[in-house]
Amino acid sequence: MTALPFSTVEELAAGLRQHLYLPDRGLTTSIYLALSLDKPLLLEGEAGVGKTEVAKVLAEMLGRNLIRLQCYEGIDASQALYEWDYSRQLLAIRASDAAGAAATDLFGPQFLVERPLLAACRAGSGAVLLIDELDRADDEFEAFLLEVLAEFAVTIPEIGRIAAPAPPAVIITSNRTRDLHDALKRRCLYHWIDHPSLEREVEIVRVRAPHVAEPLAREVAQAVARLRNMEVAKRPGVAETIDWSNSLAFLGAPHLDNEAAEATLGAVIKDHEDFEYVRRHIDDVVEDDAGRG
Amino acid sequence: MPAGDDYAHLVGFGRELRARGLPVGTGRILNFCSATRVLAPVDRRSLYWAGRATLISRPEDAELFDNAFGAYFGRSELDETMSSLFDWLDRTHRPADETTIEGTDAGAVAGFAEADEAAGDANIRMVASGTEMLRDKSFDTLTEEERNHAALLIRHLKLSVPLRTARRLRPSVKARRFDLPRTLRSSLRTQGEPFRRAYRDRRRKVRPLVLVLDVSGSMSAYSRALMQFAFAAISAGQKVEVFCFGTHLTRVTRALSTRDPDAALQEVAATVQDWDGGTRIGESLRGLLDEYGQHVALRRAVVVLCSDGLDRGDPDVLAAQMARLGRLAWRVIWVNPLKGSPLYQPLARGMAAALPHIDVFLPGHNVASLEALGKVLGQ
Repeated sequence: MTALPFSTVEELAAGLRQHLYLPDRGLTTSIYLALSLDKPLLLEGEAGVGKTEVAKVLAEMLGRNLIRLQCYEGIDASQALYEWDYSRQLLAIRASDAAGAAATDLFGPQFLVERPLLAACRAGSGAVLLIDELDRADDEFEAFLLEVLAEFAVTIPEIGRIAAPAPPAVIITSNRTRDLHDALKRRCLYHWIDHPSLEREVEIVRVRAPHVAEPLAREVAQAVARLRNMEVAKRPGVAETIDWSNSLAFLGAPHLDNEAAEATLGAVIKDHEDFEYVRRHIDDVVEDDAGRG
Repeated sequence: MPAGDDYAHLVGFGRELRARGLPVGTGRILNFCSATRVLAPVDRRSLYWAGRATLISRPEDAELFDNAFGAYFGRSELDETMSSLFDWLDRTHRPADETTIEGTDAGAVAGFAEADEAAGDANIRMVASGTEMLRDKSFDTLTEEERNHAALLIRHLKLSVPLRTARRLRPSVKARRFDLPRTLRSSLRTQGEPFRRAYRDRRRKVRPLVLVLDVSGSMSAYSRALMQFAFAAISAGQKVEVFCFGTHLTRVTRALSTRDPDAALQEVAATVQDWDGGTRIGESLRGLLDEYGQHVALRRAVVVLCSDGLDRGDPDVLAAQMARLGRLAWRVIWVNPLKGSPLYQPLARGMAAALPHIDVFLPGHNVASLEALGKVLGQ
């Protein structure tokens, strides 16, 4: 086990807080367990609740490199693990032909293109590996990933085995556009990130956008909480709360009133039909007590 | 460090979850024990979160977990931390308020039923239960025996499976894209001379099929037939999701794994409590889109809606939700058994509101029309 700069859940929470991330008790415990038990942490939740942020903040806090593997449909081993630099190999063949020598060692390290998973195997515990939006990749890729996560070792036939002395910290995120396989889930610790409570959200806005005054931050957080309870197709996340507060503060609005809310609604609602709907019901979003100030 | 007895207590909790139907294997229980070890000294709260992180991995299971945790370790101050968690799930399961039916289809329904009864009588006089006759007989007039026979026919329907082009590339003999890596590898055998050239092509993937079935009283005979249809689709190699609705939506995909459509429908009947509550198609669709709009099951899928279109909800809601569905799905097929009657016209307000957003409008009231549905799927 690698030495971690904290020994209790509370110390970890304090560390994350220093790096401007305010997780709740459940998430902190999950992160603590993932790091202590050397297990990947699978984070699911609606868009904008800060899943990816966990990896970034952890890398910062632990002073490790962040290695990010962004998943997309059709991703395969050559984009995730390693690939040979075929154009350079071709050139090498031509060059050795011209020199009259046989082409040798075409599959040596100098022709190897390192991709995130290989980089993570090499870096080992010196890295935080973020596997982002795994649900976008297809089933085949998930099976492949399972192998890599089990061993943190890669065997390249021409070069040999590259193994991590100690596994990196692994954060996997999923937006749940499809269910991940149980085999993968069994290997991971799991946490569903929910929208934060009102108090926590106000705190997050204050920490992330320090120039936003406390009353405005509170009004925005309250309004967003109401938006989440409305019949909108895309519920705003914490990122949107911060954006909205920033926009309002930038425009110099001391309070969230109907006018200011309508003018800046694009920062928080990003679907045309939702937009129209919320505009019609703007009075329900901006409560009277907030409007008067 | 917990003593042996404590571990037995922890393992017991894992087994308790398993007894309650959660897939908790020994590996998960081991993780749970290690987790409590690193968290030591363990208070109730960290024990709870350790279990949450290690023993379950789906937000839907959280409620069951909480109940089991409360029952096994005793209930206390935990409750408030958990309640917020299910808001996103609960949103779609709000009880709907009652309104009266507003449709003009009553006449069409009556006419259809009479016409069918007459046809049924005539058929019984001619042959007992010939396959040809059965193919054209409406599902709601079938006897138990005929129903079983029809079920067999449906399950052996030949379906064309809808395909789409995937992003992933596969080796191919058809020349579409040059495959440099494989060409180079094979050219190494020939001193770098690329005698054999390799190509790749886009792979084809099966589009998912989503059935959204109206299970309110008058529709159950047809919905049962479409459940059979779902089994036919599964055996044709298709991914199938099934949702049932009356006043609200229930996902019943899991019931399909029982391999027995009747048992599956009975299970559904047990979970769906609103058989006589009337149909609220718009609200149910909103539930579907809110919860699964981001799910691949719905995106670019073939969606088959089976309902008579007699909606008790607001037609504007239905129109808006149908528009959303139309944008999300590859193709929307509405199966309306009333359409089997030559007298039928889609005049009910709900049906009229939905019509502009439907790609294919089919009757689906007998085996022959389900056969037609099977052909339409792959187009």
